[in-house]
Amino acid sequence: MKLSVLKTLSLWLSLLLAMASMTVHAAEGSAKPFAEKHVVLQISDNDPFKQTLVLNVASNLIKYYGPDQVDVEIVAFGPGLRLLMADNANAPRIDSLVESADVRFSACDNTFAKFTKNLGHAPDLNPHAVHVDAGVVRILDLVDQGYTLVKP
Amino acid sequence: MSIKKHLSYSLLAISAASLAPATQAANWLMLQGTEPAGAAGRAKLWGFIQPEYQATDGTKLKAGPYSGQDAIFNTILPNRETESQFNLRRARFGVRGQGFPLDNNTNYFFLAEAGNNGITRPGGGTGSVKLTDASITLNHLEFARFRVGQFKTPGAEEGLMAIHVFNYVNFTNVTNGVLLERFLKYDGSGTFVNSSGSSDSGHANGPLGPVGAFRDIGVQMFQTFKKNDWEHSYAIMIGNGNGITRSDNNDSKDLYLYWSSEKVYGGKGGRRQGWKTFAWYQKGKRTLTLEQGTATSSDDVTQDFDRKRWGVGTTYLKGKYRAGAEYIAADGMIRNGTDGGAVVGSISNNGLSRASLNVLPNDKADGWYLDFGYKIKPNIELDIRYDRYNRATEVAANERRFETATVGAQYFFNKKTRLIFNYEFRNAEAPNLAGSANPNIILDGMDNLASVQLLAIF
Repeated sequence: MKLSVLKTLSLWLSLLLAMASMTVHAAEGSAKPFAEKHVVLQISDNDPFKQTLVLNVASNLIKYYGPDQVDVEIVAFGPGLRLLMADNANAPRIDSLVESADVRFSACDNTFAKFTKNLGHAPDLNPHAVHVDAGVVRILDLVDQGYTLVKP
Repeated sequence: MSIKKHLSYSLLAISAASLAPATQAANWLMLQGTEPAGAAGRAKLWGFIQPEYQATDGTKLKAGPYSGQDAIFNTILPNRETESQFNLRRARFGVRGQGFPLDNNTNYFFLAEAGNNGITRPGGGTGSVKLTDASITLNHLEFARFRVGQFKTPGAEEGLMAIHVFNYVNFTNVTNGVLLERFLKYDGSGTFVNSSGSSDSGHANGPLGPVGAFRDIGVQMFQTFKKNDWEHSYAIMIGNGNGITRSDNNDSKDLYLYWSSEKVYGGKGGRRQGWKTFAWYQKGKRTLTLEQGTATSSDDVTQDFDRKRWGVGTTYLKGKYRAGAEYIAADGMIRNGTDGGAVVGSISNNGLSRASLNVLPNDKADGWYLDFGYKIKPNIELDIRYDRYNRATEVAANERRFETATVGAQYFFNKKTRLIFNYEFRNAEAPNLAGSANPNIILDGMDNLASVQLLAIF
């Protein structure tokens, strides 16, 4: 009897943990379970017009599909990480995209380390930026999960 | 420091602290001196080209010692050799950005002029390329940025604004007269007659170098603060006060003060919509040699004279409507035209003198303008401007009054290319002299001026 209860409890706990991990994985991949479109936008160069363009593309996607129907993540690496520096002139637009449509912003740690070395100190990033080990790896992972890569 | 002063300064500091500094405000101080943080390239190449055509009727001087010769006011700048001409008025190229893109706290601005105007000639040389702007801005402090080098001084709107968004071909008389500075060595009162009386010395008081181009070499402290829809800007600059690409020629430094408050309606860049009110003040000294009205230089006296300028104005841009107004006053170093209204260097009819540029070091002047624009279509704007300039107001007989009504139209091929057409109805008089006096007869010959200018920004 006791063993049966223990077994049941173990099974139940295992099931619970499995469901939790799937939820985390789902959360990592998408915070919008009802989204029909999943898009990862890459910004990796220094051109200030590209900064504006990638934010425009994100805005246009949200405008077309609706904030709940499209899941957008912007991954910045290389010189493109400048977009996610705290004092970037586009910070208000980033705030707006996060608050209105849950757009996610990922910051490459490899690039962050390089910036730190060049600057002599760690740069302040936008508070909405989430550190990822490597921007390119993050993009590949998202593509494997079914995201469409767009590089404006 | 008294308690009252201390309290005043504290209140000022608290007020400033309650305003957030704008990272990239669309005003001339910020547009020309800073870059958008984190969103500027290492080096952005840019520039603009302004070919134009200007023409008058070429009416000759009707009276005075140079009667029958070219009237300077009916000839076309910069060489004053003809009544009409095609000209490459401006051809500027520059580069700006953040030299080290990771550091948002430093940026630079570099601009050079290759066109044919008062910067490159006359006085500026024989058409050489001239540096107009070369500056570095440090943006490390919350309440102050520092711009160092050669750049536009904070002051009147026509001078401070970017010339490639200026709505007219030519400046108003008051701006041209008291702010677009020509640097002269002499006051122009000398008569240059060879001791034998048979030929003149060939000396004419002309510009020593490029026009000031509303610029100076120095250091400026400035910042813009944003609160809700309002932007408040200040600037304090100290400069040589001796023009561009030149060393200082006296121990005095010019002081420039500027304040503006603008209610921003929207948009960005040089044509951001808003209602701005501004005030400014400039003070400095100029070194001038008084020729004492004689032919000999042995009695010349060189001394420094005060030069003060100040103004207050407002600009408005919203939707289809645009308006501007400004009052400008000047005290000291008043440029007073040329002898007999002739072109500088002209020999008088009796062969005894040459026409010189004149300066009244202790006189005053003032002026104002009203300006309206209306977009009848998104790519067509109609403009009208009235300006009035009162020159040399301290001595009744010397006073001259200039009135110009300019009608214009702008056609925008795209946001970086436009055509401007202006027609200036010009009138001038010596208001305190009889109509039959030579100055009024001369000024009665002032023609209207037509101009067409094409602008392309790249």
